[in-house]
Formats: sequence, C-alpha cells, structure tokens
Amino acid sequence: MDTKPRDQITTGQTMIVMVNYIVGAGILTLPRTTVEAAGTPDVWISVILGGIASMLTGIIMVKLCQRFPGESFFQFIGKIIGKPLGVCLNIAIVVYFLSIASYEVRTVQEVTGFFLLEGTPAWAIDASFMWIALYLCRGGINAVSRLCRLIVPITWTIFLGVCLISLEVFDVNNLRPVLGEGIGPVWKGIMPAEVTFTLGEAMLFLTAFMEKPKKAVKVIIGGTAIATVFYVLAVVLTIGAFSVDGVTTRTWPFLDLIRSFEVDYLIFERFESLLMSIWIMQIFCLFCISFYGAALGLSQTMNRKFHNSLFVLLPLAYIISQLPPNINGLFSLGAMNGNWAIVIFGFVPLPLLIIAYLRRVGS
Amino acid sequence: MWNTIMDFFPSWTVLIQGLFILVVPVAITIAVKWLGLKEGQMSRRGIKAAGRKGGGVPSAQKPGEKVQKGTPSSGGNRDNVQTNTGFGKEEEASGEVFTGRFQEDLQQFKDITRDMSDVSVREFYIGPLKIKAALFFLAGLTDKEGMDRDILKPLMYADRPFEGMTIAPDAASLKDILVHQVILVSEIGYTDHLMKSLQKVLFGTAVLMVDGMKEVFVLGTPKGRTRGGEEPVSEALLRGPRIGFNETLSDNTSMLRRHGKTTELAMISFTVGKRVQKELVLAYMKDIANQELVEEVERRIRTIDIDDVQESGFVEQLIEDNYLSPFQQIQNTERPDRVMAALLEGRVAILLDGTPFALIMPVTFSMLLQSPEDYYDRWLPGSLLRVLRFFAAFISLFGPSLYISFLSFHPGLIPTKLVISILSSRQGVPFPTLIEALIMEVSIEILREAGLRLPKPIGPAMGIVGGLIIGQAAVEAGIVSPILVIVVAVTAISSFSMPMYSAGITLRLLRFAVMFSAAMFGLYGVILFFLLLISHLIKLKSFGVPYVGVVVPYRINDWKDFFIRLPLQFMKRRPALLKPKNPIRKG
Repeated sequence: MDTKPRDQITTGQTMIVMVNYIVGAGILTLPRTTVEAAGTPDVWISVILGGIASMLTGIIMVKLCQRFPGESFFQFIGKIIGKPLGVCLNIAIVVYFLSIASYEVRTVQEVTGFFLLEGTPAWAIDASFMWIALYLCRGGINAVSRLCRLIVPITWTIFLGVCLISLEVFDVNNLRPVLGEGIGPVWKGIMPAEVTFTLGEAMLFLTAFMEKPKKAVKVIIGGTAIATVFYVLAVVLTIGAFSVDGVTTRTWPFLDLIRSFEVDYLIFERFESLLMSIWIMQIFCLFCISFYGAALGLSQTMNRKFHNSLFVLLPLAYIISQLPPNINGLFSLGAMNGNWAIVIFGFVPLPLLIIAYLRRVGS
Repeated sequence: MWNTIMDFFPSWTVLIQGLFILVVPVAITIAVKWLGLKEGQMSRRGIKAAGRKGGGVPSAQKPGEKVQKGTPSSGGNRDNVQTNTGFGKEEEASGEVFTGRFQEDLQQFKDITRDMSDVSVREFYIGPLKIKAALFFLAGLTDKEGMDRDILKPLMYADRPFEGMTIAPDAASLKDILVHQVILVSEIGYTDHLMKSLQKVLFGTAVLMVDGMKEVFVLGTPKGRTRGGEEPVSEALLRGPRIGFNETLSDNTSMLRRHGKTTELAMISFTVGKRVQKELVLAYMKDIANQELVEEVERRIRTIDIDDVQESGFVEQLIEDNYLSPFQQIQNTERPDRVMAALLEGRVAILLDGTPFALIMPVTFSMLLQSPEDYYDRWLPGSLLRVLRFFAAFISLFGPSLYISFLSFHPGLIPTKLVISILSSRQGVPFPTLIEALIMEVSIEILREAGLRLPKPIGPAMGIVGGLIIGQAAVEAGIVSPILVIVVAVTAISSFSMPMYSAGITLRLLRFAVMFSAAMFGLYGVILFFLLLISHLIKLKSFGVPYVGVVVPYRINDWKDFFIRLPLQFMKRRPALLKPKNPIRKG
C-alpha cells in the first residue's frame, strides 16, 4: 500500500508549510470579520491573542502526535479511541480539510472573477487551478513543501512592499484610542481571528513527516508567530486607512486598501491586480496543503492508494466549492469551517491526549 | 424541509463540471501510463524505469531497498551488453582463426575483405632469412609514414637480430625477437581471430601476419583525421581557456588530463552501439563523486540499445530521466574547463568518440544559467551577470505573455499614460494581441533559425533584413504595434543571453505555451503557468538529484552559488545535493 509516508521534511520546511497553511485567503477578509465582531479598532490585539490561542491548541496537537513518531493522526487515532470512533473522527477531519480547500478555490474564483477576469466561466478558473494542484500533490509532501519555499520569497516581498507603499494612506488616528472601550470588544474579536488562523491542525499530519519530530513545537510557535505578523500588518494597515466604519462596508477590505492608492514613481500604477495574482500563489499553497491533508487522511483511513484518493477528492472539492450560492454563502462556509475547526481541533485533542496518557499508548 | 435540502444539492451543471474536472486528469494520467508501458515494450529503458524510478542517489529514505530493486534489472542487462572487454562473444565462438599457414591465411583474409576496397595488404620478407609476412592496413586511417618508418623498415632491414641463423626460428622465439628487437611500436597486441583482426584493421591499426605464427600482431598506428582544438562555437567566453573539445575521444580525454595533475580522475571505457560500435568514456573524480551516482550512470549506459550512437545527444536522450519534460536533464558542453569544474563538484561526465559535445550529469536548474565566466571574473561582476541572466530568463519566458495579459485584460495595472500611448499606437492593428504577438514571435523564430542555417557571410545580412526591415515595415503596414516590436526584440535578446543554447530553446518553447495561457486567463493564466512550471521542476529529478535543488533541506550553503556568486574563499563546500564523498573543497 502506498499509504505510508515515505519522504521527510526538515524543521524549516515544516515551518514554512505551516505559515503557508495559516496565511491564505483569510488575509483578504480578516479586517472586516474581526471589526464586525468587535466594533473597535483594537482588533489587532484580538489578532495577536488569536495567534497565541492557536499556538496553544497547536501545541496540544503536536504533543499528541509526538507520542506516535512517524505516524500521522489518521493512523494512530484508532489506537487511542478504537477503530470505529477513530474512523468517524478521521472522516470528519477529511471533510474539514476538503472544505477548507473548497473554500480557497471558491475564494480564488470569486476574487479572480471580480478583479482579474470578468466574464470567464467560473469552472474554467477552478479547473485549471485544481489540476495544477493535483499535479503538484502527486509529488508528495516534499513537492508541496518545496513549492511553499519557492513561493514564499516572491509573495512575501511583494506583500511587504505593497504594505510599505500603502503607508501613504495610513492614518494612525484611525487606530486610536487603544482600548478605548475596554477589553470587552477585544474578546469578541478573538473568535473570528481564531477562525482565520485555524488551530494549527496541519500539524496533525505534518509531524509525521518531520525529520526531527521533537522540534514540532518550535514549528507551531514559529509558524503561527510569522503568520500573526502578516495578519496584524493587514489589520492595522487596513483600519488605519479606512477607519472602523470604512472597513465593515467593504467585501475585500485588504484589496480595497491596495486599490485606494496610485503611485507614479514605479512601473506599476495600481497594485491590486499584481497583489491579487501574487496572492493566488499563496492561496494555491494553502489549497495544496489542505487538499493533500484530505487525500492523505482518506487514503490512510480507507487504506487505499494515495493517488487514487487524490483523484476521488478532486471533483468533491469542486462540488463543495460550488455549494455556496453567492459570496455571502461563501463567507458563511468559511465561518462554518472555522466553527468546525474549533469543535474538532479545539476540544478534542486535549481529551485524546489524556486518554492516550492514561491508556499508555504511544511512547 | 425538502426544499432546504434540495437547495444544498448541487445542480446538474455543477455535477457535470465536477465530472469533467475528474475526467481530464484521469485521462492524462492514463495516457502517460500507457506511454510508459509502450516505452517498456519498445526499449530497455522500461526495465530501468520500473526497477529504479527516479535514479540512483537516494532521495527517499530507503536506499537499501532501492538498490535491491535495481540490481536484478541491471544484472539482466549486463549480459547483453558488452563493456570494454573486446568484441562480441558470438564472433569469438564462430569466427575463424589463423592457421599459421601463410598462403591459406592470406587468402582467407583477402576473402573476407573482398568487398572492402580500402583495406590494403602489403606483402614483404622479413630480414635476410626472407620470412614471409604481410601487413594489413586501412588506406585512410593508418598513419602510413609511421608505419613505413617503424614497422616496414625495421622488419625488412632486420639483419642484426637474425645474425648467425640460417633457417627461420620457431614461432615463439621469432615472436620474441620481433617484439623485443625489431618493431618500433609501443602499442602491440595479439590475436588469432580473423574477424577480430579485421575489426582492428578497420579502425586504423596495422595488423602484421608472419609465416608460421598462429597469432597476428596488432600494431597501434591509427591516425584518424582530427581537428585541432578550436574555440568552442556554441559557448564563447571573453575570459577563460580558448580550447574546446574536438571529435577525437583520446584528444578529449587528454584535454581533461592536461587540465591539471590528479590521480583521482577516473575514466571508464564502454563500448556502445550494437551495429556500429563506439567508445564512450565515463569520467568522474574517484574521491568526490557519489558511488551510487556513478553506478547508476554506468547502469544506464548499459541499457543503451541502439544500432549506432551517432552523437552524444543520442546518449543524452537514451539515459535521461524524463523524456516528456521540456527541460534538459543532462547538460552538454564543448568546454573542458566546464567539464572539469563539474567533475570537481562531484558530477559525472560522459565523452563519446566522434563528437565534441561532452555530457554532464546530474543537472540542476541553476547550472542552466551559469557560465564558467562567473567564476573567472571577480565575484561582484560575476554575481551581477548572474542576476542579469535570471532576469533575462524571466523576460525571455514571460515577456510577450505579460504584454498580452496587460493589454487584453489588465490595462489598469500599467501607468495610464503608457496605456494611452500603446492603445493609440495599436489603433490600426486589426488583430487581437495574441495573434499580433504570435505573428511577431513566429517570424522572429524563423529569422533566428534561418540565420543559423545560412552561410556565415550572409548571416548578418539576414539579421538586418529581418530585424530592421520586417519590423519597421510591419509596424508601418499596421500589422503590429511598435510596442510589440520592442517587446519581441527584448525577449529575443534576452533569450540570446542564456549561456546554454539548449536551455534557451526550452524557454522559447515554453514562451509560446505561456502566451496561449495568458491569452485565455490573463495574468491569472500567467500565474497558473508559473505554478505549473514550478510544480514540474520541483518534481523533476536528474539522476535522482532534485532539479531545483536549492530549496531542499540543509542547502543554505548551496545558495552561495545561485543568484549571486560569493567570493571563492567562501565556497568551501561542494554542492551538498550531489552527496559527494568529500564535501569540503580542499583549500
């Protein structure tokens, strides 16, 4: 069977995969979702707290995985809670990863249709995107992680560069007063931030591939910290430009931020298409990681060949991505994903860890 | 209740689209698998692919398993293929032998060479005892002057060794006398097979047959027509050795030897080709090159199954990993210094008789954009040139497609003034940007190809006619816009700046694919193509070594020699990707 993980990745690679798994389409909407929930400009504190919370849940998952070196969550879960329950949980996780992947595809479709390609049929946009992802995923986790590493210098440079330029429209007064309404709204903002962050669940299968699983905690802390920097930057800059009221009225606040300025001292005058196309690469990484996770989970649960499960999941991902009737449906799919994540990955791993400890399974 | 559920149920169009999304990749996968099967039936490469996919150096974690898998197939091949042990077994079994009776042997030899008019026979007597002898040689290939001077003359004037003898000595002592006292040739071999001796004759050695001896002497006097070492045409340098390989294998190997004194340079000889046999030399540094890599290359050389290996390009195509990839996985070069540098990094080189192009393997992506000059110049200019080349490669690949996508899909991205001036210059153009760009790109490719084939004096004229006149006229006739002429020209110049000609061809090929992708999806298409390209490169392996090696674990060190070239004293380590035996370059 082709289900056993063959190739290994290093700590650095895992960390970059982790960052790429967290930073994706979420950055485009995060300023709006958090501000809608909190209503104050202090959401950047919520984002930081969200990052820390996701680190904590991630660490629990990593601790769980470290008890079973070389095995992914899908393989060892049966040993902890028995096979039937384990299979149910695995399928829930597979569906979750698949739904994350679908969410990303649909976001690409919506954003591309809106900003880059008006009038191109949606399925054509999705299909070419997914085929390339399939081609990449057939190369295994090593191919995925190398892609992440290749993409990162390009996307990060352009992202940071665009952020720098957007300082033109930045007004620090929009962020004041800090904690003007107390700590209450900050708490409210944590939930949507957490939804965007996810909870580090990619570590459930990434740990199994790591050359040095002992360093997995480092990975989760480092990866989440880097991702937090990105999100805080996006939130602070967007709110600084549009103020709290301006952010809530925009569908893609971060893209609108990039649209809101023009520069005449560079080759490009406007950057939203550039950033959009670059960000598609970032989203592509996220799609590949979660799609890979779903396929790996399916193949290990069902004991089928990995490549076959990739093929099986491909049309499913597309169909799920087309379920939301419109863009609001898409956002509610995202929110649903986040809530599921909190249920599955926020509350389940800790009891699992305790059970594993009590039953003395794993090392 | 039902309605809510039905709302969630995807519509038929979505299902059909989902099916479509599934069917296309499945079809492609099946097609590729079928191709692989076909290939397996048609060539021995198939055995290799099944036995040891991905090549020799273990990239996965179980080298032991891989080796075990690989051995049976390579063992199976070894029986059929002759290495340099001489000539085929079948011939040895069935071939006739020399009898020692002079007239009979002579007649026999003349019989088998009846339809070879260029094989000459010279009969003569040895020394004062008048022992009958005959010399067989090939008119054009044998060094006649040397033969006359060092073989004929001493044999015919051989008085002193036979002093005091009245009858011819027996075969053994005659042989002893001839070898030790008469013949002035350093390279002497013996054989008693007729066919074997003929084969030697046909390759330019002289064969001496002496009355009464069952063995003939094989005297090494070949002198093929060779070309002196000239400056390589395909890889010109401003600074660096001005010598390139020529068509003679021994000259080429000696050029490598002459590069510097080392006792570690191994050169292993193979005979390739079923019908027309040729010598092939595998060169590597014994204390640097990874043993598994060397074994893998040897194994693949043994799988070569073709009647004539005409050029090293044949070897390249027959032993590369992925023949469906547009990227070359083996580098060809005419420069001995380049080969030597590669060997010292732990790579392996193949030299073939009859071609000035040596092959270097495994190849990594960065090698395609490197020139030996980067190392000969100081590090700052070297780095500048390298960064420039990366930029040029980018333009050469994406230039026209960016033009297409900016103009057709995203004019808002470029400055408004520029858009206005482009659009106004395009007003008379009747074609969409894709057709416009295709017209110009295709014509410039034709120009380039034509310029290559034309005799040298006409070549430059061709460039002027094509570049200036057609470009100018096309703009004035309103077929293309002047901006596009600029884009195409810059693209063409960029692709000329590739130090490897074949890498430039790959980029040219891919450029057309990106143009179509851009015409369909605009910038999104360009990005998708870029992702596809990267995905392919990431998965591609050359002899088990990842093609885009720099992003592999632990390779921070290899970055020192990628975009920029650090000063030589900082490059203490050999590329770790190749897993060399000795990772440190000794200072």
